[in-house]
Amino acid sequence: MIANGETLTRAEAVDQRKQRMDAVDFKMVTFALSGKDYGIDIMNVKEIAKAGKFTFVPNADNYLRGVYNLRGDIIPVIDLRIFFHLPAEKKHEDALESMLILRIGDHVFGVIVDNIDKVVGISSTQIQAPHPIFGDINIKYIRGVVENLDRLYIILDIVRIFSPKQEEKVLPPVAAVTASFAQPLPVAPAPLNENTVVSTSDLDFIKETLYANKRFATSEMNEAWVVARFKEWKGMRKSADVQLRDQADAEAYLEGFYSPSSGQFWDESYADAMMAMLPEIASRNINVWNPGCGKGLETYSFACVLRRRYQNARVKIWANDSDLLSISSAPNLVFDMEELPDYCREFTIKGKNGYSFSQDLKDSIMFEYHDVLNANPFPELDIVLARDLLSFLSPADQIRVFNDFSDKLKSRGILILGKNERPVPIDDWTSLGSPDISAWSRAD
Amino acid sequence: MRVEYINPSVEAAFNVLKEVLNADVKRGELYLKSTTMPVLGVAALVGLAGDVEGRVLFDMSKATALAVASAMNGEQLASLDELGKATITELANMITAQAVTKLHDLGFKFDLTPPALFTGDNMEVSDHEVEALIVPMEVPQGKIEINVAIRERA
Amino acid sequence: MKTRQDFPSINDREPDGLRDDGQKFRVLVVDDSIFVAKQIGQILTSEGYEVIATAVDGEQGVEKYKELYPNVDLVTMDITMPKMDGITALEQIMGFDKNAKVIMISALGKQDLVKKSLMLGARNYIVKPLDRMKVLERIHQVLIK
Repeated sequence: MIANGETLTRAEAVDQRKQRMDAVDFKMVTFALSGKDYGIDIMNVKEIAKAGKFTFVPNADNYLRGVYNLRGDIIPVIDLRIFFHLPAEKKHEDALESMLILRIGDHVFGVIVDNIDKVVGISSTQIQAPHPIFGDINIKYIRGVVENLDRLYIILDIVRIFSPKQEEKVLPPVAAVTASFAQPLPVAPAPLNENTVVSTSDLDFIKETLYANKRFATSEMNEAWVVARFKEWKGMRKSADVQLRDQADAEAYLEGFYSPSSGQFWDESYADAMMAMLPEIASRNINVWNPGCGKGLETYSFACVLRRRYQNARVKIWANDSDLLSISSAPNLVFDMEELPDYCREFTIKGKNGYSFSQDLKDSIMFEYHDVLNANPFPELDIVLARDLLSFLSPADQIRVFNDFSDKLKSRGILILGKNERPVPIDDWTSLGSPDISAWSRAD
Repeated sequence: MRVEYINPSVEAAFNVLKEVLNADVKRGELYLKSTTMPVLGVAALVGLAGDVEGRVLFDMSKATALAVASAMNGEQLASLDELGKATITELANMITAQAVTKLHDLGFKFDLTPPALFTGDNMEVSDHEVEALIVPMEVPQGKIEINVAIRERA
Repeated sequence: MKTRQDFPSINDREPDGLRDDGQKFRVLVVDDSIFVAKQIGQILTSEGYEVIATAVDGEQGVEKYKELYPNVDLVTMDITMPKMDGITALEQIMGFDKNAKVIMISALGKQDLVKKSLMLGARNYIVKPLDRMKVLERIHQVLIK
């Protein structure tokens, strides 16, 4: 019975109070990616569209599907599924893709998703912090998660994902693009693929034996050297003797492949050549990744060289190896005076048992027991130093790891490979020119 | 995982297990793993915070968990009840805390968060962008896999 | 026939848990793990102490101390607990009763935690895993002062 003056039942009053507390102050456009529900702040969504023909843009990252003419504005279109390495539904050639047009500041661009659902309003108090325990995409792109009507939505931090720095990588000069507003171009050339052809030539047998005995995989990256070496090898051995019979033979064949000062401190001339090769780097913080560092002598050598070359910058080196025994002694190495090259001396201090590197230098290096084939959390890198690492991975892993280097390297970043290794495809890279040092930066 | 974190962690596991079980403890070879981990049946999880982010997971079969909890309580437990679970959780807490203490003395400032216990045959603990170091420990009650995933805070 | 009573055993001694007046020392155990609480309880009762209450977090620990005051002879305090940690609880108990006798019992042994606890007034600090003899010795030392 509602008495005079009372306009709400008790239950309704409780409800209203609850609603006031949980007022809707956040609206998101929800959509699906690989079967999971996601949301983007509606403030960043300009409109929704169904679109088909995107003009393909060559030489761009694979998640850039192309550009789209949005009523006169040319905007880049990104496939979020490819960006997040999620499986994408294969749509029919002419089928229209579901696209969200997003705006961040002055930048407008389209993102393709599996399908767009609806606008959901929630209270921002309900948003929970993301937990690494769920989610298929990198947690840094997630603003939070929220539950609504029995569905769990992962809210993407669209500003983090498409911050201007990232965009530079994505957008090629617009001028070049507007000029070619034509039919989609054919797909970019196929990358390195596994050499599965079994042939019977001597050289092919040698390649197989090298892999079987020393895990050395011949590929576009190092083929030039393998072939040149083969000529030498034939000259050295009698014709019946060309094949590699055992590990000792394989090791003999590989003599001359390895980079100078492998497994040791870099000698003076190599260190000087490295100093001379290293170009200017604008940033105050220089991030370096040194996978396959072994016992760490290469890392220490490089650290000293970098300190001298970039005196005003803070250098940070992530050095790792998957050989636990080698790398576990790296942080605490002690040396005799004679073992230390001159260019390292200023960074060492004398202790009870000998010389070790100063705390300051050691603090700039993080030695990690890490397998380069596993995921890693390294930030954007200025330099990757990976000498003679890729050649000892399977062909498929070579591609994977090389792509990882490429993804993580800043646009002006430097890639240093082994003396006889080359990046692939070589046209994408410019040599920083040095006979003993295989150093590269991206071709403009 | 940073080299400096490895020894203290392994030592802590070895010391605590030896002390609470009063038995022979053997350590298997360390290795790295990076994918979703199917759990052996019982998993105790302790979070890490401070200079790093990450977690330590103690993975074992239900039978091993029951045997270990029984040994630690000095009586045969019939099933992994509240007391049994609290026992395994406390084991995880002690090992992680001892590792954190050792690392603190070396200059690495970590903190740990209260542990949690998960049971369930098909539970997957999914870690992204993080590789885990596996330290297999063998005790009379069975195998305990310690799974450590640590990432430096940017 | 000789009975046991004929031979006063030199091994007989008063259990530590008894005060001079024959009453048992009353202990408040604060720890979020029922396993640890049980373990400490067993060690204490085996030596004649009485566990008068258990608390599962710092907040409850402080409440119980205030409720039972002045009948708490000793508090064992864990550090890592939900809601309120042991250091904060220690501080509050000492603020309430400057003569409170609190012993920290924790799996963490970090130097800074030990120092902080002792400076806040804790009488001792024991690191887990618990060794029965060590626990009893330390508790006894604190109570006889």
